[in-house]
Amino acid sequence: MRYKFLDDLTSDVMFEAYGETLEEVLENAALAMFSVVCDIKRVRPLRSMRVEVSSKDEKSLLHNWLSKLLTDSEIEGLFLSKFNIHKIERNDNLHLYATASGEEASPEKGGTVVKGVTYYGLKLEKIRSGYRAQVALDI
Amino acid sequence: MKEKLRQLSEFKWLIPKGVRPAMRVNAIFYASKSLLDSAEDTAIEQLTNVACLPGVLEPVLGMPDMHWGYGLPMGAVGAFDENEGIISSGCTGYDINCGVHMLRTNLTADEVKPKIKKLIDTLFNNIPCGVGATSKLRLSHAEMDKVFVQGARWAVEHGYGIEEDLERIEEKGCIPGANPSKISSQAMSRGVPQLGTLGAGNHFLEVQAVDQIYEPSIAKVFGITNKGQVTIMVHCGSRGLGHQVASDYLRIHESAARKYGIKLPDPQLVCAPAKSREGQDYLGAMRAAANYAFCNRQIIAHWVRESFAQVFGKKWEDMEMYTVYDVAHNICKLEEHTVNGKRQRVYVHRKGATRAFPPGHKDVPSVYRSVGQPVLIAGSMGTASYILVGTDKAMAETFGSSCHGAGRSMSRHAAIKRFRGETIKRELENTGKALRATHPKILAEEAPTAYKDVDAVVDSVHGAGISKKVARVVPIGIAKG
Repeated sequence: MRYKFLDDLTSDVMFEAYGETLEEVLENAALAMFSVVCDIKRVRPLRSMRVEVSSKDEKSLLHNWLSKLLTDSEIEGLFLSKFNIHKIERNDNLHLYATASGEEASPEKGGTVVKGVTYYGLKLEKIRSGYRAQVALDI
Repeated sequence: MKEKLRQLSEFKWLIPKGVRPAMRVNAIFYASKSLLDSAEDTAIEQLTNVACLPGVLEPVLGMPDMHWGYGLPMGAVGAFDENEGIISSGCTGYDINCGVHMLRTNLTADEVKPKIKKLIDTLFNNIPCGVGATSKLRLSHAEMDKVFVQGARWAVEHGYGIEEDLERIEEKGCIPGANPSKISSQAMSRGVPQLGTLGAGNHFLEVQAVDQIYEPSIAKVFGITNKGQVTIMVHCGSRGLGHQVASDYLRIHESAARKYGIKLPDPQLVCAPAKSREGQDYLGAMRAAANYAFCNRQIIAHWVRESFAQVFGKKWEDMEMYTVYDVAHNICKLEEHTVNGKRQRVYVHRKGATRAFPPGHKDVPSVYRSVGQPVLIAGSMGTASYILVGTDKAMAETFGSSCHGAGRSMSRHAAIKRFRGETIKRELENTGKALRATHPKILAEEAPTAYKDVDAVVDSVHGAGISKKVARVVPIGIAKG
């Protein structure tokens, strides 16, 4: 399972994402978020954009990565459906390099407006099989 | 937490400051017993969090439509001292100046119903809606800066409306003190293609018919004269621009709270001292976003007029399509209130709450000053909406505030699992309503039963006296993003 939605929040959307590696859990979290924004099954990876994010730790990397995707996809006018994190460099900070792909946003393939990625209940934890993330979106 | 509430009257419950040692003031929750029973404990706890913040003024308020929200619950009010208090991007939330613009007409439901399908299709085609929809307008950054400062006036000066519309918008559609230089380049980029779009989610455009008039003399002042009279409601906000301003300043206020040593009872309630640069910068940006939202709704309202003219083959003026009012539901305002018997300026954060100023107040438009400010309450998709009016009691008890709508009672995910969009559409159409949405899933998410009962919400604020029922309207046609 790559991600699942939780019923914990009445007003907003909360999901869990999983991955064997940090890269994979972040990619799956992005997929979960864009499954709210658009019909990812019908969004073809026709156009790509590069994404770079830096953060002080893994949890804030999760937040900043999703926030950056939300902002940049709207500026580019794209619905995204494919995420490929090339590498995460670790020195003083964490630096993430990725490509995200999708197609021009169109309301017929749209879902709901995600207003923001919140810090509420935000988690990124190591589990036996890798990583588990928990994210609440304001919608 | 609920067991600690003390009932003060039928619709009023006290959350005493003793329930948590850090609370500086009491909180009050306005609700009937049954709405209290259905309210989330976590939302009540969120009210107590706000009551712990520096400079908070008595009391923190929960409205009957309250539900858990980010930081401050939706359906809540937090007021702070102008000097000692804080300004909080967390308390205002993501959808800055989400609100409602209402138009009236001289048409009756009987005249409109035969053409309602065509009308909704025309509105749907003329007003971009849904995620990913972009506007017919593309303003330069310099022109956008004018929108940030002038708000709805920009729209009127560019042919989207008339001078009289401005009189009938909260703050005349232009909050002073907007500072475009505090809007980030990302917010600007998101705002340009979305000025003149409705959005999605709970935002909607509805053609309605008046079905109850409770206060005929007040309704008449608002231009509502008869049952069956057609009105239109536009419910939307500052779009991606406002969401970006919120995201930008949540980050800034997180560092500011640390920098100024503010002990946060909940990390979501990030804030900055009212007098600090971070506090004032946010105010400048938030006011710009709020003015953008006023402008957005004014433009859309004007396209509604043009759509009616197209369908009915008459001038909109001949159909008397005038603005009833336009209110903000999510905003931080600097207002004058009486606190402990003294007049003082106060930063009032309303999140999912509506200003409800009484008769005679200087900020109520002169045309309405004898009766009070219209308070527009948007129901959920397919259910009733209301026109209320502000009262002296609201001014005395709630920093001049009332509820804003129905409030969700079921998560979107649960609603999608439980309802099918096609069924919801068929059920609404079977009751004679026309409905158009970008896709069926949104109809399942926004199923009327996923929301609280708006009639019960309004009965609570009416019963508590913090606003008064004037008229009830029901939808006959709905366009959803």
